[in-house]
Amino acid sequence: MGTQHPLSMLKNEAYQIFSDLGFEVADGPELETEWYNFDALNVAKDHPARDMQDTFWIKGEEGKVLRTHATSVSARMLEQSAKEGKHTCAYISIGKVFRNEATDATHEAQFFQIDGSMIGENINLSNMKAVLLNFYKKVLGEDVEIEFRPSFFPFTEPSVEVHAKFKGKWLEMMGGGMLHPNVLKNAGFDPEKVQGFAFGGGLDRIAMIKWNIPDVRLFYQGDLRLNQF
Amino acid sequence: MKISYNWLKWYVPDMPEAEKLADVFTYHLCEVESVEKIGEGKEQDYIFDINILPNRAHDLLSHQGIARELSGLLGIKFNDPTEMYKIPVSTETKLKIESQTENCRRYTGRIVRNIRVGASPEWVVKHLASVGQRSINNIVDATNIVMYDCGQPCHAFDIRHVPGEKIIIKNAIEGEGLELLGSEKLKVTLKNSDVVIADGNATTLGIAGVKGGLHSGVANDTTEIVLEVANFDPASVRKTARRLGILTDSAKRFENDLSPTHCDYAMRELSALILEMCPDAQFENIVNFEQKPPEKLHKISFKTEKINNLLGTKITATDIAGILQKYAFRYEQNGDMFDVEIPALRLDLVSVNDIAEEIGRVIGYDMLVSVIPSIDFAKKTNEKNEKIKKIREKLLHNGYCEVVTYAFCKSGVVEVAHGTGGEEFLRTNLSDGIKKSYELNRLNAPLLGLDEIKIFEIGNVFLKKDVEETCVAIADKKGVKEFSLDEFIEKIADDAELSKILISQKRNEVSDFISAFNAKLWQKREHFLPWSHFPFIARDIAVWVPENTDPEILVNIFVEHGGELLARPPRLFDKFSKDSKTSFAFRLVFQGQNKTLTDAETYTIVDNINNTLINKGFTPR
Repeated sequence: MGTQHPLSMLKNEAYQIFSDLGFEVADGPELETEWYNFDALNVAKDHPARDMQDTFWIKGEEGKVLRTHATSVSARMLEQSAKEGKHTCAYISIGKVFRNEATDATHEAQFFQIDGSMIGENINLSNMKAVLLNFYKKVLGEDVEIEFRPSFFPFTEPSVEVHAKFKGKWLEMMGGGMLHPNVLKNAGFDPEKVQGFAFGGGLDRIAMIKWNIPDVRLFYQGDLRLNQF
Repeated sequence: MKISYNWLKWYVPDMPEAEKLADVFTYHLCEVESVEKIGEGKEQDYIFDINILPNRAHDLLSHQGIARELSGLLGIKFNDPTEMYKIPVSTETKLKIESQTENCRRYTGRIVRNIRVGASPEWVVKHLASVGQRSINNIVDATNIVMYDCGQPCHAFDIRHVPGEKIIIKNAIEGEGLELLGSEKLKVTLKNSDVVIADGNATTLGIAGVKGGLHSGVANDTTEIVLEVANFDPASVRKTARRLGILTDSAKRFENDLSPTHCDYAMRELSALILEMCPDAQFENIVNFEQKPPEKLHKISFKTEKINNLLGTKITATDIAGILQKYAFRYEQNGDMFDVEIPALRLDLVSVNDIAEEIGRVIGYDMLVSVIPSIDFAKKTNEKNEKIKKIREKLLHNGYCEVVTYAFCKSGVVEVAHGTGGEEFLRTNLSDGIKKSYELNRLNAPLLGLDEIKIFEIGNVFLKKDVEETCVAIADKKGVKEFSLDEFIEKIADDAELSKILISQKRNEVSDFISAFNAKLWQKREHFLPWSHFPFIARDIAVWVPENTDPEILVNIFVEHGGELLARPPRLFDKFSKDSKTSFAFRLVFQGQNKTLTDAETYTIVDNINNTLINKGFTPR
């Protein structure tokens, strides 16, 4: 048997965990339109929130970006669901995303994100807590606890930061919240009738915590010494 | 943002202890970067460095804002300072304000005469120092105190540089230069899209919302000033500040969309402070320019049920009413139905989801009980992901190891703007990356315990504009090959085709024995083991042992002598039997953790191993 890349192992494990709860695996392009990466997700054109994610814009192509988060896949899938008249659905997507920032042990220009969303008539924030607790327990161990802290993302309201207690330490894991009414509207849903949650965060970070990997850049060296697990 | 605990206590005397306050911030408002204790005894203070969330930056980038929020959050008394400030007697004014741009939403100005510029009172110096600011002079300090206190940036111009006592807010002349206030004496070149404050002769005095000009600032001999308390379009301030790279505290506040109504309070506070510092100052009437009259306060109507439906909680209407009262919101309640009038400063509250967030964070998200949603979803499999899974499994099964390389490279079709590190194109193939990976791993093959390197990568390539494709590349001693997912799926379907592409593992009894034995020694790790960056040295040891000897005995001898210098478990690579004796050949890889090993050091270890083998009755070859 050949050895597996740790991020692939984690990706397959995550897909299995969420599929078991009814989530559908989804994917989308890495080279994304400004619409799905920002506009559809309620990130206003001149809002400082666009600075939260330093974006790689494509030269000579107006309105094209390397996606800064896998939430663009949620934007696409929600739109598709609205078109198909599916008012109850859930998606999970793991893919490469890009940030235009200086690299160091915890920052990399490319990394992987896990992103999920679930909508329905009564899908709520407590449901999200349960779904994420289930995920972290399966990935990091049964003794893991999670908690939500106040946060802000343009695409969710309420927004929370998800922290997990692993080996006695609280660690910031991802962001999430209830889909912002504007995001639902942009997808073609009536926010009065449909609601749901969305979450997302770095897969690399989970891998680094799970296996105690000290440097995010190790994932992308093509070095088989990384495949230890 | 830095917040002084003592400063907060001005407004909320019953503030909980500093240690407890950190948790209040974390679980109910925002992240705490650090808490620092400064001073001793009566002078003791705690400085909180907190990260105000972007949706509250319009009302919380100030001590008063935080104090008001904490008072609501904790249900403790907030001392409204408005009444505290003395309103100075004021006289007729000739000050004129004219706006020639849409980006000035409000501008209140006031002439103050007979002031004396000098040192600030001690409390002012201390308050500024507590949030990391240097005292400049009493007038400038007063404008800064107002900003850190109530969040509204203010400015003072020396009236000698405002001929005609007229202020014009306008767009800059393309290419005009301006020397700015501040120790760096920065000179900037403005663009027509920048908004500036100018005098009656249209000479630029300062950049709106960003920074004042050097020549019009308050000097030691200044006796008459024009106070500016204004409101500018957030996007315009932001654009200018970013372009010039001058991210002042003022620009930071304006770009977060302050409420224009806040000017009134700030002018009152600023005037009162100046009166306190210069008791002989003569104040003229406030001149107010407003682009449009203040908007009527809007209302949000919602039902208790909707809040519970969003949060998944069982909050009662009484609970909600309690929270609204603590925040001093005006509301009407009709059973489970609420109509809440949103205060002018709370620009973040627009929809019922915003109210749900308010209630959620006030009661604390630990109140949420985890409930797995019981909904029967019609599940669909993802075709592309199924293909990737199938390909991976096939390659892993054939002994190919997985790598991930960078998506960026030095040439290609799709180029990113303002990239970093000189690799600004997206890859058009996986082959170039995997070739490098192959070379790296080939050199490390003994360390990896591999006879030959066989690797693969599955990833996206960018062939043309708008053409992004997921491909699979494999690299082995026969070279590099790359396929689209579909091409590879076709190959998998046909064993003969697949054998042309992949190097298959020739299996027999001996090779099975060797793999099983090595697999036993090389266990998967729970935790990452960092590798040494020093060169390794591989040594092969072959030894005759009586037939049926367990080779593990040999491994134990190797490990005993090799100790920490063995970079990986000894690896069996050959086995054959002759004349009721068996020959086992092992490869040992030595590597120093903190230094380069010498050949001599490894020979010594090998000699010791050989001696032990001989003593045990074995025959090294």
